[in-house]
Amino acid sequence: MKLLQKTNRAYFLISGLAFLIAGVIIYFVISFFFKDQLNEKLKSDIGDVELSIERNGTIPDYYPFIEAHEVQDQPERSYETVDTLIFDETEKENIPFREISVVTSVNGKRYYIAARDALFEQGDLLTTIAIVIGSVFMLLLLSLYFINRKLSLKIWQPFYRTLDELKDFSHDKPDFKLTPVSEPYEFTELTKTLEKLTNKVISDYQSLKRFTEDSSHEIQTPLAVIQSKLETLLQYPDLKRDQAEMITSIYIYSQRISRLIQTLLLLTRIANDQFPEKRAVNFSELIEEKLQLFEDNILGKSLTIKKSIEPECVLETNFFLAESMVINLIENAVKHSNAEGSVNITLEKNHFEISNSGTPVQVPSSKLFERFYKVNKSSDSQGLGLAIVKEICTLNNWGIVYEYKEGLHKFIIRF
Amino acid sequence: MKILIIEDEKELVKTIKDYLEQEGLLCETAYSWFEAEDALSVFKYDIIILDLTLPGGDGLDLIKLIKNGNQQAGLLIVSARDSLDDKIIGLDMGADDYLTKPFHLAELNSRIKSLLRRRHFEGSSEIIFNEIRINTDSNEVFINGNIIDLTKKEFEILLYFITNKNRVITREAIAEHVWGNSISGADNYDFIYSHIKNIRRKIEFSSGRDYLHNIYGIGYKFSEK
Repeated sequence: MKLLQKTNRAYFLISGLAFLIAGVIIYFVISFFFKDQLNEKLKSDIGDVELSIERNGTIPDYYPFIEAHEVQDQPERSYETVDTLIFDETEKENIPFREISVVTSVNGKRYYIAARDALFEQGDLLTTIAIVIGSVFMLLLLSLYFINRKLSLKIWQPFYRTLDELKDFSHDKPDFKLTPVSEPYEFTELTKTLEKLTNKVISDYQSLKRFTEDSSHEIQTPLAVIQSKLETLLQYPDLKRDQAEMITSIYIYSQRISRLIQTLLLLTRIANDQFPEKRAVNFSELIEEKLQLFEDNILGKSLTIKKSIEPECVLETNFFLAESMVINLIENAVKHSNAEGSVNITLEKNHFEISNSGTPVQVPSSKLFERFYKVNKSSDSQGLGLAIVKEICTLNNWGIVYEYKEGLHKFIIRF
Repeated sequence: MKILIIEDEKELVKTIKDYLEQEGLLCETAYSWFEAEDALSVFKYDIIILDLTLPGGDGLDLIKLIKNGNQQAGLLIVSARDSLDDKIIGLDMGADDYLTKPFHLAELNSRIKSLLRRRHFEGSSEIIFNEIRINTDSNEVFINGNIIDLTKKEFEILLYFITNKNRVITREAIAEHVWGNSISGADNYDFIYSHIKNIRRKIEFSSGRDYLHNIYGIGYKFSEK
């Protein structure tokens, strides 16, 4: 629900309730004052009648408004107020009247004097109040509606513009700017704060990006020097065999460091979402192509490859990461399948499955995706391949599960 | 053949220079952005090796300078910034190849030779070593004039050896050349061995001499003796 709808609804509800209460109060106040006034008037009427009897000796009689006659059997008493119904000849209906009567002595004689007047009909009063309150309420709603429309068009307009601009925000757009808002104060502040926040996000992202690139440079350059020197050293013709072996071993280990750094930085960069450029990647072709890389390994282990690859499975994603994921999964399957075993690859529009035969592993499946986790501790692999696969899947919102079924280690990815 | 090496790590420049000069290539060096700018404005080069991270400026700007100037040079980017952006931008801007640090000197040499061949600076796409003749356009190998049938990988390995002849080539360098950077080399030593065995067999079958020498525990060397 939009903000304006929400406030409007609240306005309507609360003002409706307030008007209802006001109506009830007005009704009671008006009828109280009216009756009070009526009582005063009737008492003064009685006073007039008394005066008239005292001065002129005439007993006025204007039924039903004034009624007076002499009484003998009734004792004197003070004012008595009753509401009665009196049949009206002209309107042919009973009309409620208020009556105040008194028995009093005038000039030594006792008189019964009653003064009456028509009471407002309660129904009439209620209707009148309802009409008045209702029309004021409608007027209020109408003006509220127009004020809000104007507000939403004018006052809220910068808010909605800022919102639209924010929707376009992405951390890899270094030139992102919000249009400044001059009024009202709250939106000015909001926009300023948002601008600070987005700038911070952008600069954090940029410095993180620079850091990963710089650390890559700072580590790989010395390694490049070491490796090139070792390679040159290996060229000396009178190198003894054990010396050469030592140099080779240093060479291999420095290469291992370099690879490790590369992979760790790759993981960091995936986690930081530093692969924004996306394009249509044909997974059908990619898998076939990368499978070629493992030709020798497949042949060497006499593996049977069973493929069921639907052609033209195209996904919008980062090419480099897609490539990395496919290589890692194939490498994992080829490496861990038993000799003369099988590797099965199934690719459908939204489903990729790769499995290899092998003995079951005694580890929880979640552990397989952990960094540096190796089933075979002595293996010289980094234990990062599946961690990379997992990160890439997470980044792309693809689901990945591992299961062991019917002698097959299966990795299933849902796009 | 004149080569300009633009790289700020002096020790690395020295080894690269030594290696390439042994190949008969003339090398000049620039250790900073400004030195590079100076050198580029005065001389013409056949190949420029460019590191993207330089003191004094962004290496990518130098690509513009090279491409907008009157250099006809083949451009090879060597960078430790393996950020794909740089690779794509660099290649889009007109770089001919991209090599990630650290690299094998043999690989660098092979890339440079390939670049020179592609630009026809050597006038021909044929490499001749005694009785072996390789046509790099058609990917054919002739021994004593007879064509021999090599697989794609065997061809790549043989070409790599001839390009880096008289040098000890490590198995890691061969593995990386054939399978790329994405797969660790150690698993592939056995396959290298069997590919090399096949190459030997095929060359010997056409009465070619065996120039491939095993260097135990290290790798191989392709040489006359």
